[in-house]
This record gives sequence, C-alpha cells and structure tokens, in this order.
Amino acid sequence: MRRVAITEVAQISGPDSKDNFYDQAYRVTREVLDKAGLSRDEVGTIVSASTDVFHGGISCANAYYWESTGSFMKAGTRQDGESMFALHYAFMKILTGKYDTVLVVGLCKGSENPDNDAITQLIADPFYQRPVGLNETTAAAMQMHQYMEAYGATAEQCATVVEKNLGNALRNPYAHRRGCYSTEEVLASGSMCHPLTDLMCAPKSEGFIAMLLAAEDKAREITPQPVWIKGYGCALDTYFLGDRDLLAGQLPNAARRAYKMAGITDPAKEIDLVELCEPYAFQELLWCEQLGLCGRGEGGKLIASGKTRIDGDLPVNPSGGVLATNPYVSRGLQRVVEATLQIRGHAGEHQVRQQVNTAVCHGSTGFAGQCHAVAVIGR
Amino acid sequence: MARPVGIIGVGQTQHGRREEMSYPDLVREAVLRALENCNLTPDDVDAVVTGTMPSMMEGIAMTQFYFADAVQAVGKPILKTETCGSVGVSIAHTAYYWVASGMADVILAVGHEKMFEGDSQATMVTVLEPYYQRSFLSGPPTAFSLQSQMWSNRFNIPEDKIREAATHISMLHHNSAFDNPYAHVKVRLSRDDVMNAPVIAYPIRLYDVCPNSDGACAVIFASEDKINHLGRKAAWVKGIGYRGEEYFIGDSDKVVWRAAIEAAKEAYDMAGISNPRKELNVAEVYNPFTYQEMIFYECFGFCDFGESPDLVLKGVFDRGGELPVSPSGGVLCTNPIGATGLIRVGEAALQILEQAGDRQIGGVKLALAHAMGGVVQLCGIMILGAHK
Amino acid sequence: MSQAKEYRIFETEVWLPYRVAYGETWTRFFEGMKEQKLYGTQCRKCGRVLVPARSFCPRCFVDTSDWVEVSQTGNLQAFCYTNYRYYGQALDPPYVTALIRLDRTEVDFVHLIGGIDLTSVEAVSSRLAKGMRLHAVWEKVRQGHILDIKHFEPVE
Repeated sequence: MRRVAITEVAQISGPDSKDNFYDQAYRVTREVLDKAGLSRDEVGTIVSASTDVFHGGISCANAYYWESTGSFMKAGTRQDGESMFALHYAFMKILTGKYDTVLVVGLCKGSENPDNDAITQLIADPFYQRPVGLNETTAAAMQMHQYMEAYGATAEQCATVVEKNLGNALRNPYAHRRGCYSTEEVLASGSMCHPLTDLMCAPKSEGFIAMLLAAEDKAREITPQPVWIKGYGCALDTYFLGDRDLLAGQLPNAARRAYKMAGITDPAKEIDLVELCEPYAFQELLWCEQLGLCGRGEGGKLIASGKTRIDGDLPVNPSGGVLATNPYVSRGLQRVVEATLQIRGHAGEHQVRQQVNTAVCHGSTGFAGQCHAVAVIGR
Repeated sequence: MARPVGIIGVGQTQHGRREEMSYPDLVREAVLRALENCNLTPDDVDAVVTGTMPSMMEGIAMTQFYFADAVQAVGKPILKTETCGSVGVSIAHTAYYWVASGMADVILAVGHEKMFEGDSQATMVTVLEPYYQRSFLSGPPTAFSLQSQMWSNRFNIPEDKIREAATHISMLHHNSAFDNPYAHVKVRLSRDDVMNAPVIAYPIRLYDVCPNSDGACAVIFASEDKINHLGRKAAWVKGIGYRGEEYFIGDSDKVVWRAAIEAAKEAYDMAGISNPRKELNVAEVYNPFTYQEMIFYECFGFCDFGESPDLVLKGVFDRGGELPVSPSGGVLCTNPIGATGLIRVGEAALQILEQAGDRQIGGVKLALAHAMGGVVQLCGIMILGAHK
Repeated sequence: MSQAKEYRIFETEVWLPYRVAYGETWTRFFEGMKEQKLYGTQCRKCGRVLVPARSFCPRCFVDTSDWVEVSQTGNLQAFCYTNYRYYGQALDPPYVTALIRLDRTEVDFVHLIGGIDLTSVEAVSSRLAKGMRLHAVWEKVRQGHILDIKHFEPVE
C-alpha cells in the first residue's frame, strides 16, 4: 500500500471574523499552498467537507466555495457532515495512484449560523423525535445521565474535563473559548440542559481548516517532516436514540479498524497523544474508554489521575479540544491539524512536554455519537 | 495501484409521487432491490456511500443518520458525498475510489430524494448566495434559458431548427419512458403538444423540462477478486472524470463549456476512447432540459459545436441511431435529484449487463453516464465497459 | 472613498414549507395515537418489539408485519431538563425530555415528562429517578401526532 503523508496544515479559527466565507475559504487554502510551496495548478485534486445546514443558509455548499478552495477545473468533491470523511476520501484518492497530492479542506462559519441546536434538531426525524425536543444537546444530556449512573462517574470528574481543556486553550491562539475555571465554577455555570452545565457544552465557532496530503515521494519533496496517515476507521450506529445502547456505541468498532490498519495492539501504551471530539465534557471520558486508553467505566479515574493533562503521560486535547473550539463540521479535521502540529513540535505554547510519535485523532457527529471516525497518524 | 472495479448490482425504486411511503422506506426499496439483483445480503457489504441534494429539500439534516438502518450501514464505515445535482455520479466515484484503493471489496452506493416533500424550486434558489445571484436567478430554468440563448447566438442556429430538434428529443425520451418500468412521467405526446407547449422560461417550454420525482437508486460496486469469487458478470469502471468552474454564472463560458469538455476528456483518456460517437454504444446524459442536452452532445465530442440540432433531426441519437442517448427516458422523465446521477450509472450498467429489459440496446460494450450540478457549474462522468 | 471600519452583515433567513410522507407504518402508528393506543411492531427474526412501529427491523433488515399494542407504562431510563431557547424550537422551555422503556418493548421511547414541578432543575431532579414508573397522559383532542401524548407522568 502507498504511504500517504500530511505535508502542511493551516487553520483560521475562533469565535467569529468580519471576513466572509468565500474569502476565508480562499485564505486558508492559499496559506497551506504557500507553506507547501505549490501553485494551485500543481495540486492533484481537492476534497472539502461542509454541511448545507451549517452553511449560512446557502445550499449545495461546495458550489459556492468551489473556486475559493482552488478547485477551478479540477475534480473537486465534497463530504457532508463530518470532515474526517474528507480526510478518508483524500487518503483513498492517493492510495489508488491517480493523484500524488490532494488538498483537504473543512469549512464552517458558526458565526453565520443559528445556534447549533436549532440545526441539530433537524437531524431528528420530523414525526417522532423532533416534536419532543431531541437535538444533539438533549441527546448528550441523557447519555451523560446514563454514564454517571452506570459507572458512578461524578459531575466533578466531568467538570474537570472543562477545567483542563479550557485551561489548555489559554495557550492556543486558534481557540474560541478559553479560561481558568475551577470545577466549582463549571458546575455552577448554569444548567441549560441538566445534567450538562453551560460550560460543559461546546460553543459555536468558526473553523476553516486545510491540509495537503501527498504520496511518499512527493511528501518528501515538500517537507522534511511528513506526518504519515497510518490507520483510519469509521462506524455508524443505528438511528433512533431509544434503539441504541448509548454507552456501548460504535466508537470501539471505528477504533478497532483504525488500530488494526496501523498495527496498534495496545493503544494505552502505543499512543502518545489524543485529540478527540468532545462537544460535551463527559464525552471525553467515555470516548477515552472506547478508544481503549483505559478500562470501561474508568474514564473518571483517568482524568482524576492527571495523565491526560498537557504535561501528563497521555495528553488528551492539549489544544483545548472541541469544548474550546467547535466549528461543527470541521472540528474533526481540526483535531488532525492539532495532532500534526504536536507530532512536528510546532504547537507553540501548547506543545506537549514529551515527543509525540503516534497520535489518535477522532471525529464524531450525530446524537450521542451516532457516527465516529478515528485516524492514527505519526512519524 | 488502482484495482479494477465493477458494478454487479443495481436497484431503483418506482420513481414518481410516492406519498404512500416514508422517506426511509423509499430508500430501503432501492437497497433491497440492488442486493436482490446480485444475490448479496447486507452482511456482504463492507461499507456504504450515500448522498442527496441539500437538506432543505426535505427538511432533514445529514440524512446519513436518518437512513443508517434503511441502507443497513449500522456498524459499517460510511461516506456521505454531496455535490449538488452531480451528486449521483460523485457517489459512484466515491464508491469506485473506495474499492480501487483496496480499503473495501464491496460498496453499497445509494442516492435518494423525495422532492414532493419539499419545494424544489425554493430549495434550488438557496443554492445561490443571498447577496447577489439569489436576487436574479430564480433557479435552474433561468440559468438554462440564458445558456441556450448564448448557444444559439454563438453558432447562429436558427430558432425554428432548435425548436424542432428540442421537440424531437422530448418526444424520443417521453416515448422511451414507456419501456422503463421505473420511469416517472409517462405521457404520449404529439409533436404539436411539445412544439407549442407553454413557455417556462423563453425559449424553454413545458415538455423541455424535467419533472420533480421521489425516488432512490442503489448500486453495488465490487473488487475484481470479489467479482471473480462470486463468478459474476460485471459492468467495469473504465473511466471517470469530473470538473467544475466558478460559482458566479457570469464568470465562465457555458457554451464551449470547459467543465463538461474536460470532465469528458478525463474519462475518455482513462478509458482509451478517442472517438466517442463511434466507440460508445449508449450514453445516459444528464438531460433536465432538451436544449442543454444538445450542448452536452457537443461538449462531449459526440459532434462538432453548432452541429447537434442537425444530427438530432437525422436520428443519430435515437434508439436505433449511431449513438443512442438515454433509452431509459432520461432525466427528462425521471428526476429524484439526489438519485438522478446514480440512476444514469445504474442504467448504463444495466445496458452492459444486458438487464435493461424493453429499453435494452443491442450489443452494448461501452456506456457513458453523466451528471451536472451547481450553478451550471459541475460535471461528472463515469464510463462503464463489458470488459475489464 | 474611505475604507469602512465595520463590514456589513446581511441578515437572511431560510424558511421552507414541507409536506412529509408518513408512509404505511407510521400512518398506522399515528392513527393509533388518535385512539389513545401505542403500537409497536415485532421483528419475527430477533423478536424485538420496536416502538414507535417500524416497517422493518433495523438490525435484521426484514419486514416487521406483526403489530402489537404496547404498554403505556414504563421505566425512566434517562432524562434531561432543557431550559434554553433556540430558533425553531418545537417546545417552550422549560421541559424534560426522557428515554422511557415501555413495558415489554426492547427499545426506549423518547417523550416528555410532565405533571411535576418544572420550575427548577433541583425540583425536577429530586422528583425523578432512574427506573421510576411513568405512564402516558393523553390530550383530550387528538390529531394523530406524537404530542397527542401530552407527556409521561410518575405513576403514583
């Protein structure tokens, strides 16, 4: 199998910007090309990720930003809903040998959209789940309820995720929300959807994310520090929330596929860093368990141990994660960008203490994680 | 490095106004038929690709979640490809890459739309950004009307000749739809009905325009190993091509239309085709408007620029002609948009597999499928062959 | 011309009317609600009773033609107290959405909890507990809609 590397990355991210979507898409694309020293003509093709309902009321989103992402007279294409899908598709395009370079772009301008939940309620079917108020937050609240019941995880442990991640975000210039919060402050931050408190829920952010993938030979021409895509896995769960086991889910399945491809047998030992998608604080604990970083029900203990802090043995979300920055569609790809920076030692003030050889990146969408995607990248 | 990929199963719904059925059940009808067509079970499928038009068409966001069960993707990897009207061919491209890359052996590709649940015209208007184009372009008919006028002016084609040729194409497809059990619009039209139908957007008249449909299509792609193991006949993917140009309709030439020309060229080069009109045995052209269909003939190299109305009137593209186009009745008679492009791929595969029933063309060895999307902007092609 | 310091924001809105088909199975389910009945379908292969009724079993991928009337009483599995607003929200907050396992069914039914003090999360949390018995409370006038059940209430 051909080896595929991430050669350069770029991001425009934060709460909002006065720039328009069309131009921001251009700027992030331009930045990654400039870093790689390639002209647009030299790029094989483009795979973007965006979602019409998260796209300022403009349908068929990729028609709009087609030329902004350098796609003019190229075989560009688009993935909907989850930007990790775009990474996967671009990866396969290089594996076939048809392309040597593929630009991957994830685009979401949260500031133009209504509240995330005004949109995620449209994931619910119109007959049954939507009229009773289901959306991503209410679904997560019920999942959190079950998680705490099942394993005795405490609200304080869930609040520690916020304390850690928003604290990490203080050092990340691309973060939307950051701050020094005590767990008491997190727990007292307002109960918008019990048992979730306000600070336990991710904000609505802008994230224009770009990366250039290349086949091995080309990658070595572009950069002395290629970061290899070693494994990818994805799995989708059944639709109706009531049909699902919200604590089992499909993440173990997605992770198993990615680890198998990457040849990882003991994730807790072999992985140096994790950037995962935790729009709701407790999900970081549950996802850590399901990624095999600790035992079932031990997510609370894991965070209490300090191991997942920025200076710990297995840092999780040193960027601040999705709790700090949540461009809904591009949040998965942003995890890959952050992990790439860490592997290269380019993360600046939020660079972790020890060298990162292998990192896991995770994207998740749908109610209570109906879909998960996992990528393993490394030196 | 790219492994050979073939299509082994095709399923589609009865297209039309399907108010008796919920959207997930409609999608499942196509999936069941595709699995039945190649005698596979959901367990045989490694991964699923789905796609549709914008969420606003039916008011459901990110339909991959809603249809997880209908397409039997639970526990499987999924991709969700969306490229506006060209989505059907883009779904097929995604399935092709998934198998060709070696990451899967069997892919279920599904496209779907239930247009009677929304307001398609109002949805299409939202494809345009609100600052500028949305104020002027009231959706596809306006854009296609502009395009056809530029075309006739450029090549000085007399208006009455174009009208005659458009009428010929409309009657051809409306008659063909009677041979397709899945087609939506089945009306017998006289020449006079078509020629003098009410104007929709000058010069386009009622029967020059495709309908709105509810429908879904599922196509099963497999690796060479899998196809050999199953001992199946396959429609092999010989070529793919895709191109897009600027979003702003005024930015590029829509007559000598580079996106269409270069998408076709990319696919022809990959398939080793140098004279498409001679080498192709059938073409399923994405033809929501009769006028635009003729522009595609020219851009795809079926004939020279400005020449297509003459050839249409000579019957070159008729069922018994040199290069039969859209024997299914085409988009003109059936248009569940998210499925429409994949139906083109499915119909081309059925022609190669000799399973096209009453619409079968004899001896099809090479077939072209096509879809178009965006603001007269994006073109995708897939070429299928009987031999690897 | 001087450079504007603030760029303009175009306030726009997308609003579209929809007519969404229930299909055979959901038509029958919602017709049942008019009669104050809750119907599920049972999968012949795995035996699970699914509610609301489904036309096919999501796991076995076979048609589910066996209809069963299901209990209107069940156990609380999880709940959330919603007290914030968003555009297009179907309900006026505060409200409690819950997963309820109706007796002798194999999936959780999503609905609302009412008939209790909803003024604060404390009031709600102190009143509700996992596993507690809940029963459906119906509207007097029913239209074949999921909210023909007003909400579920604790069984006294």
